[in-house]
Amino acid sequence: MAQRRRRSARYRILEGAAPFIGFIASAAVLIGIVIVLGEDPLKAVNAIYRFTIQTSAKLAQVLSVSIPFYLSGLAVALAFKAGVFNIGVEGQYFVGGFTGALVGIYLHVPAAVHIPLVVISAMLGGALWAFVPAILKVRRGIHEVITTILFNNIATALVTYFVNNPFSGLQKGQSLEPQTKKILATAVFGKLNGFFRSIGWNVPDYVYLDYSLIVAIIFGVVIWFLLSRTRQGFEIRAVGTSIDVSRYAGIKVDRVQIGAFLMSGALAGLIGLQEIFAIRGFYTYSLASGLGFDGVAISLIGRNSPIGVIFSAGLFGFLRQAGYGLQLFTKVPNSVTYAIQGLMILFIVVINEVMMRVVRGLRKREAG
Amino acid sequence: MDFSFVTFFLVKGLEISSPIAFAALGGVFSERGGVVNIALEGIMTVTALTLVWGAITFHSIWLGLLVAVITGMLMGLIHAVVAVTFRVNDVVSGVAINIFAIGLTRFLSQSWFGQETQSAINSRLFPNWLGVNSLAFWLIPITALAWFAINRTVFGLRLRSVGENPEAADTLGVNVFFMRYAGVIISGALCGIGSATLFADKWISGMVAGRGFIALAAVIFGGWNPIGAVLASLLFGYADTVRIVFETRIPIPVQFVQMFPYVLALVVLAGLAGRARAPAADGRPFEKGED
Repeated sequence: MAQRRRRSARYRILEGAAPFIGFIASAAVLIGIVIVLGEDPLKAVNAIYRFTIQTSAKLAQVLSVSIPFYLSGLAVALAFKAGVFNIGVEGQYFVGGFTGALVGIYLHVPAAVHIPLVVISAMLGGALWAFVPAILKVRRGIHEVITTILFNNIATALVTYFVNNPFSGLQKGQSLEPQTKKILATAVFGKLNGFFRSIGWNVPDYVYLDYSLIVAIIFGVVIWFLLSRTRQGFEIRAVGTSIDVSRYAGIKVDRVQIGAFLMSGALAGLIGLQEIFAIRGFYTYSLASGLGFDGVAISLIGRNSPIGVIFSAGLFGFLRQAGYGLQLFTKVPNSVTYAIQGLMILFIVVINEVMMRVVRGLRKREAG
Repeated sequence: MDFSFVTFFLVKGLEISSPIAFAALGGVFSERGGVVNIALEGIMTVTALTLVWGAITFHSIWLGLLVAVITGMLMGLIHAVVAVTFRVNDVVSGVAINIFAIGLTRFLSQSWFGQETQSAINSRLFPNWLGVNSLAFWLIPITALAWFAINRTVFGLRLRSVGENPEAADTLGVNVFFMRYAGVIISGALCGIGSATLFADKWISGMVAGRGFIALAAVIFGGWNPIGAVLASLLFGYADTVRIVFETRIPIPVQFVQMFPYVLALVVLAGLAGRARAPAADGRPFEKGED
C-alpha cells in the first residue's frame, strides 16, 4: 500500500516534470545562442539577473508585466480544460478592452461602482466576441481555431474603425495616434504601490502594480475554485478529457463547451485593463498585441491549470525583462527571448507527451 | 470598363490569390495524409523572411526561392517530428510552431537586418508578367501537378490511405510515418512558394496577415482536394482584390471593406459545414504496435 502510494507520487512528479525539463532545455539553447553571438555567458546571466531579481524594484516590474500574461493564460487554460482551443483571446481582449473603455469614458457614476462596472463590461465584450465561434463550433462543427482567428482579424478592423470615427477623442489638428477620449477619473485603476511599501516591499512609482493585480487574483481564485470544487468544473474537466464518455454520462457537452468558451472570452476581456485603465488612460487600437497568442503558450507551459499558469506567466514576465537586460548590457538582441519562448513551448509539449507515455507504460506494467 | 482593366483585375486577382492557394495546396497534402497543419501561417511567416534574406545574400531571387522552399520543408519537418513521431496533438503543435515562427522571425530579422519588424529592401524581384509577379502563374501547373500526384499516382494513393485508415495502410505495408512526413514536408515547401508570391521586395513582421488560416478555410471549403482548395482560395483572393481595387471608391468605411474576406470565409464555412468530409484519420496520431 505504502509502496503504491510512493509510486503514484513518483508518477505525478514525472508527469509534472515536463515544464521544468523544457525550461532547462530552452535555457541551454539560450546560452548556446549567447555563445554563438560571441558573448560571455556569465555576462549574459549577470545582465538577466540585474534586470529581473536583483532588486525589489526589478522584481516588482516582473510582477507587473506578468499580470496581463496571467489573465491571458488563464483565459486560454479554462477553454482548454473543456476541450476548446480558444485562439481568439487576441480579438476578445481588443473588443473587451473597448467595451470596458466605453463604460469608463461615458458613464458618470462614483468610483466604487464605476470600476466594477468597467470590469463587468470588459468581460461582456470579450464573451460577446467568443459567442459566434462558440455557436459555430457546437452547432455546425466548425473548428474554433479557424473561426476565432478570422474573428481576431475582424476585431482589429472593427476597433480601428471605432477609434478613428465614432469614438475618436482627438481634437481637429491633433496629430496623435487615433485614440478615444480620456477615461474618467472615477474609472482609472489606481496603484497599490503605497500599500506594498507600507508592508515593506519597496515598489517604485514607475512600476504599475494597480487594481488589475486584484482582478487577476480574484479571477485566479474563482476559476481555480470553479474547476476543482464545483459540479460545473467537474463537467468542464470531463468534457475536456473525453467528449464521448461525458455524453454517455449524461453531461450536456454542447452547453458545457459553450459556457467554457464564453467564460474564456470573458476572462480575455480583462487582459487589456492594466494598459488601458492604469497605464494609458485611454483606448487605442495600438494596444500591446500578441498577448492572446502568448496566452496559448503560457497555458500549455502551465499545464492548463490556474495554479500552473501563475508560474508560466511569471516566467514570461521574467523573460520579457530578461530580454531588456540582455539588450542593454550585452550584444544579444532582446528578440532572442521571443524565439526562446516559442522553442520552449515546442520542447514542453513534446516532453509532456513523452512523459505521459512513460507513466502510462509504467502504470500498465504495474497493473500486470 | 475597358478590356485592359478586366485583364488587370483578373491577373491581379491571381497574384493576390496565389499565396493563399499555394498554402491551401500544402494544407491538402498535409491533411490528406492525416495531419492537420495549423502551422501554415507560421511557415509562411518564416519563409517570407528567408526568401528575402536568401535573395539579398545570394544575389538571386531564384536562390532566395530555393532558400524559402528549404526552410519551409524544415519547418514542416519540425511539425512532423512533433505531431507524427511524438504524437503531440497536431493543433497544439501547429499553434506552438506559429508562436515559435513569430519569435524566430523577430530574432532572425534583428540579427540579419538590425531591426525586429522589417528586413532590408530586396531589389532582385521575380520577373514581371502582365504587371504581376510571374510566380503567381506557377499556380496553374502546380495545381494540376498536385491533383495528379494525389489522385493518379501510387504516392497519392498511399498518402490518402494513411489519412483515411492508417492501421489498414500499415497492415498492407505502407510506411505510415514516412507518408505523413512526406505530406507535411510537401506542405512546407508549398508554403515557401506561396510566401514568394506575397511581396518579395521586403519582409515586414505580420505581412502574412492570416493568409495561412484563410488557406485552412479554403482546404475545408474545397473539400480537401487540390482543385477545390485552389478554387476556394481564388474566391477569397478575388474578394480581397475587389477590396483593394475598389477600396477608395466604395462609400463605406475602409475598415469594413477590410473585414470582407474574413467575413466571407466565415459565411462560407458556416454555410458549408457538415457537407464536406474530412479525411477519416485527419488529426489522429498513429501508433504502431498493440497499445
